[in-house]
Order: sequence, then structure tokens, then C-alpha cells
Amino acid sequence: MTQPEPDPQPTEDLAASFRQSRKEFLFMLGAWAFFAVWTGGYNALYAVGREDEPVALVCGMPSWAFYGIALPWALALATTIWFAMFFMKDTDLGEDGEERA
Amino acid sequence: MTALVTFGIYVFGVFVLAWLANRAGRGKAFASEYFLGSKNIGLWAFAFTYAATVASGGSFMGFPSYIYSHGWVCAWFIAGYMISPMIALGLMAKRLNQVGRIAGAITVPELLRRRFESRPVGDLATFLVVFFMFFFLMAQFKAGAEIMATLLKGVGPYEAAVVALESLVSGLPWLGTANGDYLLCLFVFSVSVILYTTFGGFRAVVWTDVMQGLVMGLGVLLMLVFALVQTGGLRAANERLAEMTPPRSVVVKLERTDGSDGGEVRVPRGAWVLLAEEDGGSAVRLKTSAKLPAGAETSEEIEALEITTPREREGLAARVDADLPVLARAAGERAVYAYGDGQEGAYLRAPGPSRSSPGGFLGVMLAISFFAFWNFSGAGQPSYMVRQMAFRDTRILRRSMVMIALYFALIYFSLVLIFTCARVLLPGMEIESDRVMPETAALLTANAGVPWLSGLLVAAPFAAVMSSVDSFLLLVSSGVVRDIYQQSINPNATEKQVKRLSYLVTLVVGLLGTIAVIRPPQFLQDLIIFASAGLGACFLVPMLFALYWARTTAAGMIAGMLAGGVTVLALYLAGRIVTGNFEEYLLCGLHPFIWSVLFSTIALVATTLLGKPPAESIRRRYFGKSA
Repeated sequence: MTQPEPDPQPTEDLAASFRQSRKEFLFMLGAWAFFAVWTGGYNALYAVGREDEPVALVCGMPSWAFYGIALPWALALATTIWFAMFFMKDTDLGEDGEERA
Repeated sequence: MTALVTFGIYVFGVFVLAWLANRAGRGKAFASEYFLGSKNIGLWAFAFTYAATVASGGSFMGFPSYIYSHGWVCAWFIAGYMISPMIALGLMAKRLNQVGRIAGAITVPELLRRRFESRPVGDLATFLVVFFMFFFLMAQFKAGAEIMATLLKGVGPYEAAVVALESLVSGLPWLGTANGDYLLCLFVFSVSVILYTTFGGFRAVVWTDVMQGLVMGLGVLLMLVFALVQTGGLRAANERLAEMTPPRSVVVKLERTDGSDGGEVRVPRGAWVLLAEEDGGSAVRLKTSAKLPAGAETSEEIEALEITTPREREGLAARVDADLPVLARAAGERAVYAYGDGQEGAYLRAPGPSRSSPGGFLGVMLAISFFAFWNFSGAGQPSYMVRQMAFRDTRILRRSMVMIALYFALIYFSLVLIFTCARVLLPGMEIESDRVMPETAALLTANAGVPWLSGLLVAAPFAAVMSSVDSFLLLVSSGVVRDIYQQSINPNATEKQVKRLSYLVTLVVGLLGTIAVIRPPQFLQDLIIFASAGLGACFLVPMLFALYWARTTAAGMIAGMLAGGVTVLALYLAGRIVTGNFEEYLLCGLHPFIWSVLFSTIALVATTLLGKPPAESIRRRYFGKSA
């Protein structure tokens, strides 16, 4: 051991906040996988290997970029806002160990 | 010149904030204040310091350079940022802050050292932070110097200083081979950033980040409006882009047009020169400066860029400087793009044109790798982790996540739109594509009749670079002072000793970073991706396990960090051997970061399970009763 140990937080609170953090962690991994499959899958199908076709434009941008990037980006933004405002819970982070030691 | 005044006002503002931060920090415990702002960072400060640090010189200089060179496929390249505020902040910020407080840690290595009660874990983490962070620093210093050089181009006293400096260093080994403009700007930029970071510490960095974040956002919005208006709208810009084909490289010799008895002729880098009719006519852009000594009829061979899109070629003659008495003649074969040569629409599709890769710029597997890379390597960056240890409470974290998500959506998607427009407005930037951002800013404001505004627009990437370089500088110096000196050399150091050493180390690290890029690497973004991958590889998996798996042991941590770091280094070394360039080897088409996550996880879990479980006291301290 290299430093004097500060007092830990009350262990019940810590365990509960740990479980909540883990729940949020799993949600985020799921959200990431969903958007990875959307952008990766759509663009692999519609953005690559179409050298002989003219590129269609939607809202002024290539159609694959609109449906495979801009649209999921808008939904990811909405998901992030919902996650941060409604799903993620506030937690008591505790006092700083060094200050208490 | 007016642009320079605007820019000067901005830089002055940065110094004022650093001074105020220094005053605000007086009377508080030095190390905690200097390296972590006393763990009391509020909403705006946290959101902007995080966003501004992420949006570094890579985002504002390297990324635009990629968009310009490879087109719309870069929207896919950067798409991971759509979810990165949630992942990079949500994945570990809450637990990291909590564990950091329980451990009483100020730096990431210190947190790991205390969490595992193991000095080797802390020492290895310190070494890895300092090693990879140095590459980040190099990239940011290069970016800062490039921006300044663009802004100052054409300013009389500056041009005179460049000529004087070039004569001074001419013939000197190493220094003499650098461009004078770059060298001068590197010096000025480095001195400014090192001074305000050294003086103000973390609080100065955070405060200036808020200002820099606002400048970046405003700058990007203005550029977007100007770019769309000047190209006739996004649809018109992309219809023009659809006609474009990648340029070619051609070796030329310059020939005098003023007779053999003319004096010395100097042709600057980037000049457009008419190409002889028998070589195809039009104009080429020189990749390096050239000199025709008095009496000489032709120059030595130099590389130039030839535009291939017919509509673009028509307008190039107007860009030729009529005062330059030279004509270019092809002196060798044309080098064509390995993917996309002669292909109309290449800039609108994936995989995008590439000079060196026959498979194009971004294959499907690599694109998917980057979707993981931006999110998870971002989460694994110690410079972001240290910010996650500094916010006051979780309400600030949640609200910051919303602000950063909005901010990233605004910045990154807009950059794609701006620089696809820039391809249409500004031909031939492939010769120095890392300068496309400031050059575009200068062009857009000049066309709009508000050249003074260019100072503010150029301040946006400059702000991005400054806000990153100061953070990285502080991270490296905290590693040396807090994690090496205070932990291993002099645990009883007085506050005065720590203070002096902190100032000194910040100064020395900054100077070393400057010296390292006197002859800079060619591509900024390559350095940034290497450093991000290395740090993410070393810290992402180990930190996640340290925060979420109570069973993790110190030996497992060391194995995880080493496996991640070694995987990235080995695949970059393999890339160097195979291609001869500083680039990664894509095993099965995947970026080294993906492999590093896999090997780091295997090494960490296996080593942990083979060893003795950690003490119950550690488990209770960091995970509570029922974890």
C-alpha cells in the first residue's frame, strides 16, 4: 500500500449506486450496438460498390449519407437526451478521500 | 491584417482568463487545484472543457483535411460521434468520479495505484500516459503552427521575419530543413500555450476551454453559412462534386520565360504555374518551393499537383501569378490515385478516393472499426477521464451529456458539409491538405467581404488546438510530478517544491514537444489516431474492469494495459514494415484498436482469474457490501 486509506462511503449506498451504474452501462452498450448495426449495415449495402450508378441526393446530400448517417445521428441525439434526462439517476458521489484523510 | 487584429484580441482573452484562473486558485491546496481544479467544476465548464478537449486539432485540422481529400465517405468515418457523448461520458464518468473520490486521487495513474494498492500499476499507467500523450502533443503543436502560418501569410513584418529566420537556420542540420514560416509560427504558438498552461493550471485550461468551445461553435456555424451561400447551396455543391475526379501528381521542371540572362527567381510552395501546351496545358500547383539561380534556364525537378476535372481546369489560369516568369514542363510519368482515378462521383461514395490504398480510403470493416474506435477509445482517453473526475455532482454530468451531444451534432456534421463545399471552392489543396481549414476560412470571409472575420474563424481551429494542447500538457506534467516525483521520489515534498516542479515540468514537456515537431510528420490525423488508439488500448478495458468488476487484481490490470499497448504498437510496426509509411496494419480489415480491446480483455480476465482475489477491504471500499 502506498497511501493512507481514506474512509470509504457507507457500503449500502455504494452498492446501490454501483448497481445503477452497471444498469446504465448495459443500456449504453445496447444503444451503441443498435446504431453501429444501422450505420454499418445500411452503408455497407448502399454506399459501397455502386460505381456504375449515379449518386442520388436527398436534402442535398448523398442518399446513403442521409439515411445511413444523418437520420441515425438525429435519433442518437434524441436517445442521448432521453438517457441523460430520464434514465440516468443521480448518485451521491461522496466526499473526496484525500480531503477527509 | 484586420484578421490578425481579431485573432490577437482572441489570444489576449485567453491570457486574461489564465491570469484570472491563477488568482482564483490562490489559497487552495496546490496539487488538487493545479491538476484538477479542486474537483469543483460546474455545468458549462465541464461540458465545454470536455467538448473542447475532444474536438482537438484533429477535428478542426486533420478531419477537414480528410473530408477534402476523400469526400463524403468521411461522414461515415466520423459517424461514431453520433453516440459518443453518451458512451464516452456515460460508460464510466459516474463510477470514475466516485472511485476517484473514495481513493482521493487527482490523476488517472494515482487512481489506479490506490484502487489496487499497487505501485507497479500506477507506475506502468504513468509511463503509458506520458509515452502516448507525447504523440498527441506533437500533433497539436504542428496544427497550431500550421494555422498561424496561414493566418500570417502576406503580413509584411512576418514575411520579413520568415526570410531572416530562414537565412539564420540555413545550413544548420535538422533546423535548416524546416520551412521558415512553419518554424517561426511553431515557436510563437508553443511559447504562448506553454506560458498560459504553466501559469494557470487546470482551472485556466477549463476556463479557456469554455471560451474556446464557444468560439469553435460560432466559427463552424459562420463557416457553414458562408460555404453554403458561396457554393449555391448543398445540392449545387454536391452536383459539382459529383463531376470531380482525383488529381494526379506530376514531376516538373520550371523553365524561364524571361530569357537566360534573368536574375534569380524564387517560386513559393503552393504557387500555380502554367503547364506547357504539349504537356496538357492548364496549370499545376507546386508541392515545394523552387529556385532558379541567376543564369540557369531550368530548375531542379519538383513535384506538382495536376487537377483533372475539366470544369476546374478551365478556371485555373486565373490563379497563376503573372509576375512569375516561369513555365512548367513535365519531367516524368504522372502518378495516379490507387483508387478513384478518373472516376466521377468518387467523392460522393464509399470507399472514397485514395492515393495509396487500392481498396479506397475507408472499407466497410474499417468504417465499422471507427464506429467503435471513436466511442470506446474516446472513453479510454486519460485526458477525458481526468475531466470526469472533476465534475461536482451527477446532475452536472447528465446535463453536460445533453449539451455535448448537441454540440457534437452541430460541429461534426457541419464540418462534413463545409469541407465538401471547400473542395468545390478551393482546388489544389491536396498539396498541404492539413491547412485546408484556415485557407477555407480566409477564402470564405474574403468572398463575403468581411476579411476581418477570418481571424475569428481561424481562431476556431486554433482554439481547438490550444484547448487540447493545454490539457495534454497538464496531463503529462501531472504524470511526472504527482505520479513519479510525489509517489516515488519525494513523498514528503512541500507544497512549494511541488509547485515549482509542476511549473518546470510543464515548461520542459512543452519545449520537448516543440522540438519534436520541428520537422513534423506529414499527416496530422495519423498521429492523432495512433495516440488515441494507444491510450484507448492501454486504459479502456483495464479502467472498465477496475470500475465494474470487484474481482479484478493488480496483476490483471498490468496484463490488460500491456496487452492493449503492445497490440497497437505491434500492428503499427507491422504497418510500417509492410507499407514503409507510418500507418497501421489492418489485420482482417480491422483497426488495431479493435484487436487491442480483445487481447487486453483476454489478458486481464485470464490473469485475474489465475491469481488470488483482492482483499475484502478493497472490495468493500470501492464496491460496497453486496457488489
